[in-house]
Amino acid sequence: MQFEENIRVALRGLIEHKFRSFLTMLGIIFGVASVIAMLSIGEGAKREAIAKYQELGVTNIIVRDKNLSGAELEEVRAKFSQGLSLADANAIREIVPGVEKVAPQAEKKTEVKFADKSSNSTLIGITPDFIDILNYETGKGIFIDDQHYNNGMKVCVLGASIARTLFQSREPVGEMVKIDDQWLEVVGVMKSKALFTETVGELASRDLNNDVYIPLSTFHKRFEPENELASELKQLTVKIESSEKLMVAASVLEEIIKRHHYNNEDFSIVIPYELLKQEEKERRIYNILLGAIAAISLIVGGIGIMNIMLATVMERTREIGIRRAIGARKADIMSQFVTEAVAISITGGIIGVILGVMLSLGITLFTDVTTFIRLYSVFIAFGFSVIVGISFGYLPAKSAANLKPIESIRYE
Amino acid sequence: MLIEIKDLQKNYLMGEIEVTALKNVSLQIRKNEYVAIMGPSGSGKSTLMNILGCLDTPTMGEYLFNNVDVSSLTDDELSAMRNREIGFIFQTFNLLPKMSSLHNVELPLMYGGVDKHARKERAERALQRVGLAERMHHKPSELSGGQRQRVAVARALVTNPGILLADEPTGALDSKTGEEIMALFDELHNEGNTIIVITHEKEIAEYAHRTIFLKDGMIFSDAPNK
Repeated sequence: MQFEENIRVALRGLIEHKFRSFLTMLGIIFGVASVIAMLSIGEGAKREAIAKYQELGVTNIIVRDKNLSGAELEEVRAKFSQGLSLADANAIREIVPGVEKVAPQAEKKTEVKFADKSSNSTLIGITPDFIDILNYETGKGIFIDDQHYNNGMKVCVLGASIARTLFQSREPVGEMVKIDDQWLEVVGVMKSKALFTETVGELASRDLNNDVYIPLSTFHKRFEPENELASELKQLTVKIESSEKLMVAASVLEEIIKRHHYNNEDFSIVIPYELLKQEEKERRIYNILLGAIAAISLIVGGIGIMNIMLATVMERTREIGIRRAIGARKADIMSQFVTEAVAISITGGIIGVILGVMLSLGITLFTDVTTFIRLYSVFIAFGFSVIVGISFGYLPAKSAANLKPIESIRYE
Repeated sequence: MLIEIKDLQKNYLMGEIEVTALKNVSLQIRKNEYVAIMGPSGSGKSTLMNILGCLDTPTMGEYLFNNVDVSSLTDDELSAMRNREIGFIFQTFNLLPKMSSLHNVELPLMYGGVDKHARKERAERALQRVGLAERMHHKPSELSGGQRQRVAVARALVTNPGILLADEPTGALDSKTGEEIMALFDELHNEGNTIIVITHEKEIAEYAHRTIFLKDGMIFSDAPNK
């Protein structure tokens, strides 16, 4: 019998029993939908993480001055370490292999005022290289440039949130803000960094959109340090030429700084690339788990198909007998039932894909979980449902084909 | 000779006990014969019909259909045999309830691998032959008993089989429609078809030209009707 005929017979069977077919499909529908939704959640998390680490720079090594308590700080200073300094930056630039740029930064928690408004903020002293190294962008105006830096000018660039808090709808560029006892001209506003608001190691356990950037020279000249023992710098961002050189550079860098700090452990090193790899590894296990749960629901759906089909075979014993009497071979009966199972799982698969896509979109829309549907996940879910249909349709089909024609034709 | 049966024996296993349903059955049927197989229930006539219809194979003995030894055929070959050479007509019609008459009649052709257009044309012709041309798109449930049996006859005829094998064809019909069906059989016989009717009713057997009477699994008598 031709394949086309088989499909027609199978589809007619499904249409004749709409409600039963739908119930049979439910397992497959939910299975496929959950596979797609789970994979899209995994993919969304992956993309979010990549974006996050890309903002930190995947070829960067970040050296942070440790947050030490007063007593600890006194002890470290007593052991000759001056904390993170421009001297460290120079040493890294000169000695560490594969260094492209080094961006030093100093930090201070403070308050920024404009007119009658004020906002807590972190004042960050940087060099003009900073923006290139960290893939940041200005939304309005310009960033701190060489002229600002070389002349120690009283200018600042505001993070997106603080600019909104202080200025609301007014244009910040060109206005003067007051920080501590200093007046600074706003020359630019950063673009919002939406993704990077959570902690990465010791980094950025604050809203980066609330930072205010000023030239490092101005920072050291015009602002008092947080306390007299504070280090000259809070952070060094070191850009390496390529990720292959990252690990060697990192170990040399650590040695140098350790020596400069007289073996005091008053700094920490964060390698975003390594963190990314680490996180990917952890997430992979998590994704496999999610996928497995979804796959189990698909298999349960398959068992549902098998269950109903076995019942159907009983119910259709006479039909099978008639077909055999007028010349259907075992293989014809077999393929009729397998085709029916596959038709159920394909139809269920299609509905499941639609539901899964809607589920993913719904999750993105109504929760803060990011999802992303990759085409391959649709194929995996769909393909898997077809395989389930074939494998769980096989047994009922075989039992149908093996019915004896003489007995089945007299079956009441 | 169309059908040649020699020393046929059929044993069944009923639980632990082996039961002999047919023994020492020998008979020959020529082309275009009209034969009735009679006998009380338990006489083995259903078993004989199953073997004649290639639904079952004998335990011993020989069954030649058109000189083909049926007892040595595989399951697939038996299916092909039923498809091409046997036209079954059952007491309870055995039509597929969810399909139109036309589709029911097309079914054997579909299993025979006949293409769609030829199939439809031949099925229509067969339905026309039994006088149901205008009801071909009706489902069995929308037809009377007599009409259903006519659809079944059309389905049996559509492949131009070697024999029409009717098992109590009037058993589920009232006597008037039964007579109509038997009249149709007469016509089909006159057109050259070979017909075997299995029945326990003497009146039905009288339509045939020869009656084989079975008793206790053996042929009791085999004689032409007067």
